[in-house]
Amino acid sequence: MRGFLTTRATVLDWLHTLDQLGDVFFPQPMGESSFRFDKVRKHSLLAFEDFDATSTEKPFRASTCVQPPGKKLSPNNEQIFHFSKNENGEYQLTPTLDDRQRILAGVRPCDLKAIHLMDRINSDGIPDAHYLSRRQNTTIIAHDCLQPCDQHCFCDATGSLRWREGADIFLTPQPEAKLLIEALTERGEQLLADAGFTPCKNIEGRKTLAEAQRTKPFGRQFNAPLQQVIDTVSNSGESPVWDKHVERCFSCGTCNLVCPTCYCFDVQDDFNVDDPDSGQRTRSWDGCMLEAFAVVAGGHNFRPQLAARQRHRIKRKLAWLPARFGDGSFCVGCGRCGHQCTVDIDIFDIANDLLATAETKP
Amino acid sequence: MKPRIAFFDMASCEGCQLAILDCEDVFLHILDLVDIVEFREALSEKAPRFDVAFIEGSINREIDAERLRDIRARCTWLVSLGACACHGNVQARSNALSPAENLQRVYGPEACHVAQTDSQYWPLWAHTRVRAVHEVVKVDYHLRGCPVDRDEFLHLVKRLVAGSLPRFARQPVCVECKHNGNECVFEHGDTCMGQITWGGCDAICINGGYRCDGCRGLLPGVNLDSHRALLRERGLSDTDIDSRYRLFCSADVQPRGTRP
Amino acid sequence: MKPVDFDAHVLTPRMARIIEARDMTAQERFFRLQLPQPLTHRPGQFVMASILGIGEAPISISCGPRHDGQLELLVRNTGSLTHAMHQLQAGDYMGIRGPFGSGFQLSEFEGRDILFVAGGLGLAPLRSLIEPVVGEPQRFGRVTLISGCRTPADELYREQMQAWAKRPNVHVIRLVTDTDHLPWGGEVGLVTAPIAKLEMDVANTLAVLCGPPVMYKFVIMELAARGLPNAQIFIDLERRMRCGIGKCGHCQINHVTCCQEGPVFRFSDLESLPEALT
Repeated sequence: MRGFLTTRATVLDWLHTLDQLGDVFFPQPMGESSFRFDKVRKHSLLAFEDFDATSTEKPFRASTCVQPPGKKLSPNNEQIFHFSKNENGEYQLTPTLDDRQRILAGVRPCDLKAIHLMDRINSDGIPDAHYLSRRQNTTIIAHDCLQPCDQHCFCDATGSLRWREGADIFLTPQPEAKLLIEALTERGEQLLADAGFTPCKNIEGRKTLAEAQRTKPFGRQFNAPLQQVIDTVSNSGESPVWDKHVERCFSCGTCNLVCPTCYCFDVQDDFNVDDPDSGQRTRSWDGCMLEAFAVVAGGHNFRPQLAARQRHRIKRKLAWLPARFGDGSFCVGCGRCGHQCTVDIDIFDIANDLLATAETKP
Repeated sequence: MKPRIAFFDMASCEGCQLAILDCEDVFLHILDLVDIVEFREALSEKAPRFDVAFIEGSINREIDAERLRDIRARCTWLVSLGACACHGNVQARSNALSPAENLQRVYGPEACHVAQTDSQYWPLWAHTRVRAVHEVVKVDYHLRGCPVDRDEFLHLVKRLVAGSLPRFARQPVCVECKHNGNECVFEHGDTCMGQITWGGCDAICINGGYRCDGCRGLLPGVNLDSHRALLRERGLSDTDIDSRYRLFCSADVQPRGTRP
Repeated sequence: MKPVDFDAHVLTPRMARIIEARDMTAQERFFRLQLPQPLTHRPGQFVMASILGIGEAPISISCGPRHDGQLELLVRNTGSLTHAMHQLQAGDYMGIRGPFGSGFQLSEFEGRDILFVAGGLGLAPLRSLIEPVVGEPQRFGRVTLISGCRTPADELYREQMQAWAKRPNVHVIRLVTDTDHLPWGGEVGLVTAPIAKLEMDVANTLAVLCGPPVMYKFVIMELAARGLPNAQIFIDLERRMRCGIGKCGHCQINHVTCCQEGPVFRFSDLESLPEALT
């Protein structure tokens, strides 16, 4: 596949022109210090992070978006189908499949891996038509990170920092505010065909240059190799660690709802007030840390203890789903759950604590 | 026959009834589904019996409690409408004060002496306690918030009309706040009660750049000790924290130290 | 990503016409539905049943496999959706998706003695297996059904249980925990009580359990006391479900997705799932 070299500004201008193909999304500043993965509009101010130390001005840094890019593929309050009655009094049900073209740009490796994992989940067994319809009409432009985005980052420890699969185009930061642009798929190749970027003859050399600039060690590191973390979490049954990390928990579900690999949903029906024979079914993001998550009709709660819900969340990320799919950790190390938790409960600390207790056992 | 619904106001600002009148885009369609038989903000008709009674406001006097018991006896479903009815709202803050202390705060040092002797003041201020509706009669559903959320109101009406039952998720404001992808209030240095407050409002205040002050009341079983500790870490004194907790949630907040 | 084939209607129900609806008890309503195409289900599977505009929930199929496109469901009034379902009449429509779940493989039961233990509404899903088993006596061994409920007024499928009991090689024990001053021809006690006295060829017996979570532990203790190995015990579990296709996450028990690998499990497979019988 071909590669190009051009300035960040040129790429941003190019992204603005892609909206004729479909909605383009890119991280954009929100509030005081946060980012929202939002639709690019005519006057949106887009920026790539400054990675090179040569810049004289205060470098522009961006943390992860509050909601990960992958959520654009399974949006909250997503319509599943709508219904109405025809003139013969029969119900007509139409599944809502979104097959509009869209471009997710500015996706970090951690979020890219998360999208790959959601592809696996939604293709597994009985495929989820609504996700796949969106996904198969989505182009992903991802970029490398040469510095951890914030102090919560541990993507290197979970094996996502060097993730490339799923990206159609991959950008690697270069000195002098430039970017190396590589097409990784046919779709990416087509998109770049008319972009008019300068071809790059020495792709590997450029990558080596970027690698030399990468912060080492990159972000937080577990106290053991990833496989040992997964093995330890897999073998952790009852443990005081679970209780310790819920002492301050509000059971508010934030850790689930910002996680790029949490995909649980609840379903709601509604009918239209002006025509009660018509309406729709939608689904919204749910979280296993919420108290009512495992409550069945009649009121029995299969997971009433907070510590059991915490264990369920952590084991899904670091034990059960890795074992089921063989694609490594389902925690991609983006750091969102620890960052967004107001009482600093962090899957990274929980994993390290489990490692520590496992070591002290005979 | 269409279900008959009625609205009654107790001690309140009647803002919740106005919030419901604010459904004007769909209000005529609602009238296709139900008959509104009593609604002081919009109607003068009075009815003896009804299927759904919406009670707005807190119960401040025994005469209100008697009126409420009468309404309960005349309806099938009784719904607490808004923060005053659900947990007392701002007026229940007076529960933490003696009546004389309360008067003094509101009307100055002279007033408390007036109140002791002047019978004009007596009925209004001599109540022992501001009560939520469920402290007086059985309540079937709570529509929370100051004011209520119109979508929750519509959901309740539609569900009851359809022969189903309304479903209100028991989850904190954080859930909808995260659904909306907001920046956490704590992220920009302020403090928020979203973690411990009943959701269902679509996190409207945080969406608008403010914080959650808990107008929908405390979510049952929340980790209040942890929340208090968090607010302390963020520099709030216990007095500040009590003040925050009492702004809307007064009727539900237990005195400190009573939690096991 | 590589393109994946999908069924666009995977989360969209088919409409089934209710051809019979009646209250079986004060809490349970029986429905017979006519589907546009036969469901071709296995015993022990479930459907996602819905009222459009109100909601959807997992409901066990309570009839044996059939080819005429009919489907029987027994719905307990426990929530907003089932409350509305209790008002549906013949001629109304229900949305149906499925069948979902592993269910029972009839071949596994061939030639074996089968002990069914049903608590309350647990009889409904078990009926999907009892019907075919009782219908082909030459194919299966001795059938014992222990069915318990709270009071005589709560008993489900009474006439059918009485009819099963008249068949050769079928033994039915009906229990209530409280006669509630009503006439009662069965026994009084818990479903665990008869197990100790049962005639049982342990090596050739398979036990099938369905009931409230609290029942399993005690029934299993009784079966263990009789020496029945865990691999010969099947349990039909209940969980919250929102999709039926292993995506919504609600029914996950440890690493197992109940709507896919379950809801029927061998007890020996549940031993490694600490949350299964809580």
